[in-house]
Amino acid sequence: MEAADRLRPESAFASWWRTVRVAYWLGWQVESNWTDPLLFFIYSIARPLGGALILVFMYFVVSRGGRGDMLGFFLVGSAFWPFVIAGMMGMAWGIISDREHWKTLKYVYTSPISYRAYLVGRSLAQATSATAATAITLLFGRWVLQIPLHLSSMDIPYALVAFALGITSIMALGFVVVSAAMSISGEAWRMPEGVGAALYLICGAIFPVTVLPAVLQDLAQAIPLTWWLEAMRRGLLGAGGLRSFPWSSDLQVLAIFAAVTAVWVAGGVLVFSYAEQRARALGILDRESGY
Amino acid sequence: MNDATPARGMLRLLRAILGRSYPRIIGANRDKSWLFYDTVLPLLGTIAFVYVYKALGAPERFVGYVIMGGATVAFWMNVMWSMAAQFYWDKQGGNLELYMVVPCGIPAILLGMSFGGFVGTVIRAIAIVAIGSLLFDVHYTVSQWPVFLLVFGVAIVGLYGLGVTFASLFLLWGREAWHMANLFMEPVFFLSGFYFPVRALGFWAGMGASLIPLTLALDAMRQLLFPGTHPPFLPLGTELGILGALAISFIVLARFLLRKMEYLARREGRLSLRF
Repeated sequence: MEAADRLRPESAFASWWRTVRVAYWLGWQVESNWTDPLLFFIYSIARPLGGALILVFMYFVVSRGGRGDMLGFFLVGSAFWPFVIAGMMGMAWGIISDREHWKTLKYVYTSPISYRAYLVGRSLAQATSATAATAITLLFGRWVLQIPLHLSSMDIPYALVAFALGITSIMALGFVVVSAAMSISGEAWRMPEGVGAALYLICGAIFPVTVLPAVLQDLAQAIPLTWWLEAMRRGLLGAGGLRSFPWSSDLQVLAIFAAVTAVWVAGGVLVFSYAEQRARALGILDRESGY
Repeated sequence: MNDATPARGMLRLLRAILGRSYPRIIGANRDKSWLFYDTVLPLLGTIAFVYVYKALGAPERFVGYVIMGGATVAFWMNVMWSMAAQFYWDKQGGNLELYMVVPCGIPAILLGMSFGGFVGTVIRAIAIVAIGSLLFDVHYTVSQWPVFLLVFGVAIVGLYGLGVTFASLFLLWGREAWHMANLFMEPVFFLSGFYFPVRALGFWAGMGASLIPLTLALDAMRQLLFPGTHPPFLPLGTELGILGALAISFIVLARFLLRKMEYLARREGRLSLRF
């Protein structure tokens, strides 16, 4: 590239997109280059598959080998949960490790890029590492557990729209968690795990939210992940499966999910802007919280 | 005796053990966030699995299984993150080199880590069992308290022996240590039957999983807590015997590996290699 080309101002979108791409590449290297590809693949699938197998065996122990709708409910929830861990918690761990482990936050933050775009890129890299686990878990469910995950009965466009919205909502939640990580003075690295565990409990990841106490059911409806997992189950398992929201149609689920996601995206951007300004004003943007 | 007087022999060992366990027992409790995370995090996961059994309409003892599993998670996390991967953190913080030059030697440091970790974790585990049992109204009938405590004690010795074994292996590693500790979470929860009777895995898979002391310890304690209803994997006496053999084996293996890996780490210059 000529020097004159490099000096020509980029459009805002081009700059944003370039930052996302480079941050994605960086995030992928941080995630994966500690070992060889085979071990990384095994590492990527072992935890989620282990989590899914726990549920499958819990189910078989109670049902004494019988099969039912609950098995499909477990499997789809377990298959897609790694995206939440990788995308949302990974975004927070990204900023914490930049700040406290690699000590590169100050250099990244002061470079002429959008820090939000950088976080999106890092988060997408983390989310990519969840893809293998999701695919293996779904294939295991289809071919070993004989769960009705048939292409003919799936609503692929519905599932794709739900998936795209789901990744967006995970990013929005990630920005909220990152904002908290910027503000916490002690042991910030444990906080994302706590948020993930709480969401795992109330979002209907592994059981229908109808089992929860009423107050938690209301709370679950305000979180986009609940709607995302419900939509993914409807898209992949077809009609007749177990539902977290049996009163709503498929389109209603998608519409409410889109609305809740929009609210969280707006909220995430606002909260992050506030946390960022506060951290800069208090001089704590680069503060270490571990010891 | 003055505190500055150089101690020797057993006195030095005891001082080192107490000194290293101090931050784990007293120091960790000063930062309330640790108390919160170590108790509430396993509890949240536990409650989620309790609701799975409730959604399946399982009998009450299954809820008891899950609560016991949640308490066991606290021990396993302590062993993996605060024993096995501890030297990785110590490398990052610059403490590992200090441990290497102090006269007490690494075994005393590891014993202190184990003792402090155990005391801290047992308090959290009791809290998890108490809160979980109160929340879901679970009742236990311990038929033989001395045997129950014996199984628990032998399992803890074996578990922390395994922790020291892992710590020596992880001594050579950089980032891999963190990832490996991460890897040994859900797969171990699954294989050791943290949330369901290990018998469901089948005999040979269960025997393989029994290399992790928690597998047989959980099954034995469930036999004692839910007599007559829990499907045993092996007879109680056999499980206790295997647990004892595992405990001795891990202590011997840990001692051997620690020497070997410390030598390798020194020779390859990995003791102060941060990344």
